[in-house]
Order: sequence, then structure tokens, then C-alpha cells
Amino acid sequence: MIGLHRKYPFAFLIVCFWLWVPMAARANVAVSLQVDRKDATLADTVKLVVSISGMRGGDSQPVIKGFEHFDVSEGGRSSRIQIIDGKMDTNVDFTFYIRPREAGTFQLGPAEITKDGNIFQSNVAILKVSQNDRENGLDEGPLFLQARTSSSKAYIGEQILYTVKLFRQVKVSNVSLSLPKTQHFVFKSLGEPSEYRSVLQGDTYHVLEVRYAIVPSNAGTYTLAPSTMGMTVYEPRDRSRRGFFEDPFFSFSNAKPISLTSNALELEVLALPEVERPNDFNGLVGTFQIDAGLAPSEIKAGESATLTVHITGRGNVNHIPDLDIPELTHTKVYADQPVLEVNTDSEGLFGSKTMKWALVPEKPGRFQIPALCVSFFDTKKRRYVRAETSPFFLSVLSGEEEPVQLSLQTGEKNKAASGSGKQEITTLGQDILPIHTSMTDPAFARQSLPSRQALAMILISPCLVFMMFFFARRAKKQSRRSLDDAKAKTAAKTLVKKCQKGRLTPDEFCLSVRHYFNDRFGLSLGALTPEEAVGLLTSKGVSTDTANRLKNVLQKMDAAIYTGMGSCPCDVEDNVSALIRTIEKEIR
Amino acid sequence: MRCRRQCVRTYQDHRKGNPVIRYWNIISTVCLLALALCFLQATARTSGEEIFFESNNAYRNGDFQKAVEGYNTLIEGGFDNGHLYFNLGNAYFRLGRLGQAILNFERARLYIPRDPDLRFNLGHAREQAIDALAEPERFVSTVFFWLDTWTLAELFWAFAAANIIFWTTLSFRLFKRSEWTYYMCLVAVVAWAVCGVSFGVQWRQINKDSRAVVLSKEVNVLAGPETGDTILFKLHEGAIVHHERSEGGWSVIRLSDKRRGWVRAGSIERIVFRDFTTKRSP
Repeated sequence: MIGLHRKYPFAFLIVCFWLWVPMAARANVAVSLQVDRKDATLADTVKLVVSISGMRGGDSQPVIKGFEHFDVSEGGRSSRIQIIDGKMDTNVDFTFYIRPREAGTFQLGPAEITKDGNIFQSNVAILKVSQNDRENGLDEGPLFLQARTSSSKAYIGEQILYTVKLFRQVKVSNVSLSLPKTQHFVFKSLGEPSEYRSVLQGDTYHVLEVRYAIVPSNAGTYTLAPSTMGMTVYEPRDRSRRGFFEDPFFSFSNAKPISLTSNALELEVLALPEVERPNDFNGLVGTFQIDAGLAPSEIKAGESATLTVHITGRGNVNHIPDLDIPELTHTKVYADQPVLEVNTDSEGLFGSKTMKWALVPEKPGRFQIPALCVSFFDTKKRRYVRAETSPFFLSVLSGEEEPVQLSLQTGEKNKAASGSGKQEITTLGQDILPIHTSMTDPAFARQSLPSRQALAMILISPCLVFMMFFFARRAKKQSRRSLDDAKAKTAAKTLVKKCQKGRLTPDEFCLSVRHYFNDRFGLSLGALTPEEAVGLLTSKGVSTDTANRLKNVLQKMDAAIYTGMGSCPCDVEDNVSALIRTIEKEIR
Repeated sequence: MRCRRQCVRTYQDHRKGNPVIRYWNIISTVCLLALALCFLQATARTSGEEIFFESNNAYRNGDFQKAVEGYNTLIEGGFDNGHLYFNLGNAYFRLGRLGQAILNFERARLYIPRDPDLRFNLGHAREQAIDALAEPERFVSTVFFWLDTWTLAELFWAFAAANIIFWTTLSFRLFKRSEWTYYMCLVAVVAWAVCGVSFGVQWRQINKDSRAVVLSKEVNVLAGPETGDTILFKLHEGAIVHHERSEGGWSVIRLSDKRRGWVRAGSIERIVFRDFTTKRSP
């Protein structure tokens, strides 16, 4: 057993999962009850679903109260498991089909479930049951269309329900509905069409029901023209004549497009009463509530508190006004963008509008925020009603003088902007900016380019200056080199001339030989030994014999200098002249 | 008498022969000519300023036609200045001549491309134009993205400065070969190349700018240079097209989406109407 998870890892995982599911699924238990419609006739079958979450399907059966006036048949159960973010949730749906036995308004539920000794209850649903349509005189055969309104009288702005029902005993498809064209009514679709079964005088019909909210805009008596529904009807064939190729697998029935027309309806639209009409009434009709809250109610001066007003109700919610908060002393008020939510259900339009203000008191004290109110025409009470909030008090303590920090608490639409209480800028007009008038503006100086010649000059002149420097430097180098060459050429002549000119002393001779070497080879020697002279000459291609001859002469001269005969004339001219010429010839 | 004549002749000969006096004469003549030129320029500028202020007053008083005439007088007199074109564009806009307004705002953009007033007014005027003609993003504008905010003159002077720095650095390196002169040369050559290429590209863009503005309220763009030719499409005042060539009172235009056609030559006007380098201020 221990090694099973190694041999069969996949199977092991599945077993673990199924063992883990019931344990993990034992979470919070919740029960809800839903019916597919809120009004029905005695002939209709209503679908009721009890959903239980947090329990396995086989744990227990719900007990539902309020079934005394109905025939009940079970529609089965279905269960599902959801794993969201690693959290498991199990749901079981118990479906019942109920058929009312008598007309009236009934409460269905609550559904109860018992688990571990605890009882969990669901919500309740109200079902209004009216008399059978067939009893009202309708008898149209296997396929007919019926239109109804929830009331034959309505005030301007009051929403009434317009229901179109298609009763059918045959198969149909491609159903489309054309509503009556009327000038003073606005139709608003109320969700998806619903389908259910209904029994009329023992005949079972499938019913397709479509609901609309109608809002009249003008007083008067009107006839709502019939609605038209187009569809394709499939008629069953005579089975006795069915051949091989008329097998139901291929062709079960004949399809035929038809169009059905409902009954016309009379509707009386009443004007809203002028008597006791509030000054601030703006056409809001229905049933509405207002509530408000101030948080926090105690702050420091410079801090902000948020006043939230919530108007909710059923009716023409688009007319819910944007309330204005009166000016408050020593308090800055920053309004947030109101948020309107409009929804629909089978009963019509409903919704809410939420308005927020950031209140920033500048001084400590206790400030009263007056009540805010909204006026509407209550369609149930048939009179004008003024709903208002209770006044609030804001206690302000002395605080540090800091920059105002606003903090609206909820995720309103323009949260970023509301942080500073600023509003978006609205463009009110468009125009060009004025002319430029200043002539002293430096920008009024010449803005165009100079002439092409000037352009070229400006761009070329630095290059020319560079070229000038370059050639000057080059010329200078060349002149120095040519001077050296000239010196080298005349060095031998100068030495020979000096030797031939007169009797040279050994000092003068040594100096002249050194100058000869310097000029001839471009050197700057300060002293010259006989050995150095030999080395220099041999490096320049002079033979060793010739170099040694000069060495001997120089050694003689050195000996004369060191023996104190340096200033006595010596006789070297013939030898030296010939020697210099030989050296000149042998230098490469 | 003869003696006096002799004296005068001797004095004149002396003057002609004396080089100091001869150079003094030349210098004084040049100075006089320069003074006269400056005086003429100052006179022209004073006259220009007067016209400018008169035109501004006319604009403020709502006499936009007079303002237009004044600004046009200045421009024709050689005052090539972005602010003048801007004011002229404003005056045309007030007169309801959208095409002329856009034309002059576009011309002003060549001189004062960074002016926020101009950008706003040009944008506003373009929004008034009926035709939606999107100018496609060009490769050159993407690579040389800074060119839109520099005038040709600014780029030229930047290039001239970089040029001087470059050749000076190079000259310096002739005499002093060291590491830091090497790096200075390197920086200078990069600056020189960037400024030079920018100036060259801008020069080419402006001199090859074929954009023209439709001045008529509505223009039929025809398939050929004949009144009876097929109307291909219509353009409205303020639309910017590309002018290709003109023949016999007709012009071939091209749109950014490659559509082409012929229009009457007077119904459009090119934004860049002459070579920038030939312009002069008085």
C-alpha cells in the first residue's frame, strides 16, 4: 500500500483528490432560493431552484416552506465543484416545478437544510398568481401571441411592464419580435426572454415570454398597436406516408415562416398632479430612498471628512438629480463626480446614484451639515414625496497647519483628481493667440542665412588658417634641414682652408676637427677623443686605415697639448688636407 | 600770378606724392561710405518699425486688411522674420483666409520653430481645415528628430562654431602632440560631423521642400491641364499638398497618399518660395 503511489502515481493523485474534495468542501454553508418569475397564472408552471453551497449533494434534502398552495414535482439535482484561487467550493442545485392551485400572492420559502445539528435557511420569494388567461377569454389554438401591460393607467414617467407571450404547441425557430411604433413611449428591454410551460384547459403549452418597461412621456389615452412576432414553424408530417427517404433522421417536419400579431392594448397616461408639486421636482417618478453618511465625524482642522449621499430606488432612475450641498462656513467643499448605476430586472428599471463631497474645515468647532433632500412622485402613494437625509454634525479639533490632504475613501471615477479636489478643465472656446508686438525682441534680428559667398568664407577660413600653420611649419623644417646640408657640404672645405691658411696650434687644430665633425654629421659634440672620432668615421663607412690615420694625428695633437705645447704652431697641413679629402671620399 | 600757380602745383604734387595723405584719403572715403550705408540701413529700419507698429495697431483695431498690407510691405521690403509671418498669419486668420493663414504660419515655422504661440496657432488653424491629410512620418525626421526645433541659421552657426573649434584643435595639435589634444580632436570631429550633417540635411530639406498650401476655398483636382478634364477629387482651403511642377498656368500636385492631379497655378502657393541663403534684412 505504501509503495502504491510510486507504482501508480496518477491513480494515487486522483484518489487523493477525491478524498480531499469532501474534506476541503466543508466550508461555509449557504442556501438560496430562486424562482424564474415573480408572477404567473394558474396555468403556468414555475421553476424553483434551491442552491446549497458548502455541502455535498448527498448530505440532506432541503425542506421548503410555502408549497401548500402548489403542486410540486421534482426536477432533479445537479452538483458542481469549483476551485478558485486554490479554494474549493461545492454547490448543489435542487430543482422543483411548481404549479399554483389558486390565485393570490404567495411566499415561497425559506428552504431549510440541517447539518451537524445546525439549521441553515434561505431567502424567500414572492409569487403573484393571477387567473388563467384562457379563463379571461383567450383561445387561439396551438400557436398564438399575447400582449399585456401591468397596468392600463400610468403617470408620465412611471414605468409599466409590457409583456409579450408566445404560446406554442409546435416547434418554432428564428423568432423575432417587432414592437409597436409609438411616439410618446420609450421601450426598455428587461433582460433575456424566459421560457416555461403552461397548461391551458388541459393543453400544455411552451411559453416564450419577453418583457419591456414602458415609460410614457405625454399625457393622454393611447392605443398600443399590436406587436408582431415572426418565426419559422415546423409542422409534423403524416407518418403513414413516410417513405425511406422521408426518414425523420433526415426530415421530420415541414418548415414554414409565419408572422403572428398580438392584441392591441389601451393605455391611459395621466399627467403628474400640479397640486403640491415641490419646487425642486425634476420629473423623478417611482419609489426612492435616500441615505447619507459622514465619515469621520470628528477630525482636525485641515483634514477632510467625506459626506456620502446614496439615492436608490425603482423608476426613471436617469432623472435622479445631482444634489448640491449648501455653502458651509469655514469649510471648503470639494465635490466628486456622481456615480449613476442603472439596472434592470423582471420588474423594470432600478438603480442608484452616489454623490460624495470632501469637507475640509479650516477652523475648529462644531459644524452642522444641513439635510439634503430629493423630491419625486411616488407611484404607489400617488403623491409627491420628499425624501431627505438627517443633518450631520462635524466636530473639528484644532490641528496643525498643514497643507490640505483630501482623502475620498472609495474608488470613485476620478480618484486621482479628487485627491486635490480639482476638476477637469472644460474647453469653452477656441481661438488663436495674439500677434507679436515687440521690435526690440532679439528674435527680431536677422533670422536668415548670410550669402553663399559669406557662408563659404565662414566655413573655409578656419581650414585656411590651419593650412597656413601646416605649411609654415613644414617650410620651417625644410629650411633647417637644408641649412644642415649646406654646413655638411662646406665642413671639409672649411677645415682644409684653415689647415692651409697658416700654422695651426694643436688646440686650434683639435677645435677645427671637432667643428668639422659637428658640421659634417649634424652633431653638437663638446669634446672629441681620437677613439670617438674613429668610431664615428667607421660608422659612416670610412675605412679603418683612414680612420686610424686621423686617430694618429689627433693623438699627436693631444700629446702636444698635454706636454704644454698646445699653443705652439704645428705642421700638419699637407697630411691633414689629404686625409680630410680621403675621408670625404670614403663617407657614404 | 605765375608764382602762385607754381606754389599750388607744388602743393598738389606734394600731396599726391605723400603716402600718408594718400592712405588718409582712402580711409576717409571708405568711412564715409560705411556711414552712409549705416544711415541708409537705420532709415530703412526706422521706416520698417513704423510700418510694423502701424500694422499692429490696425490689427488691434480690427482693421485686419490694413495689417495684412503692412506686414506684406515689410516682407516684400526684405524683412524676413518669423514674427512677421506669424503676425501676417494671424491677420489672415482673422480675415477668414485660412489658406493664407496656414501658409504664413508654416513660413514662420522655418524661422521660429520653437515658438509656443506659433505652434498653438498653427495647430488651431490646421484643425479648421476641412481636408484630413495626414503627413506620413519620414525616415529623416525620425533619425534627425532635433531638426524640427532648429532653424537653418541656428544649425549653420552651430556648424560654423564646431568648424572653428575643430580646425583650431587640429592646428594646436600640429605644435603639441599629446594625449589630451588627441581626445580634444576626437570630440571636435564628432561635434563637427553632427553639426555638419544636421546642417546639410536641413539645408536639403528646406531647399527641396515642395509643400504648398491650397488658397482657394475649393479646388477641383483634374486629370489634366484642361478645364474639361475629369475631376479626380476636390481639395479645400488650408490643405497642404506637394507641388511637383507648373506648366502653362497649371500645376501638378501630389498628396501624401500618392494621389496626383492638376490644379490652377494660382490656387496654391509654395511654402518655401525662394532660396533661404539669398535673403537679406535691410
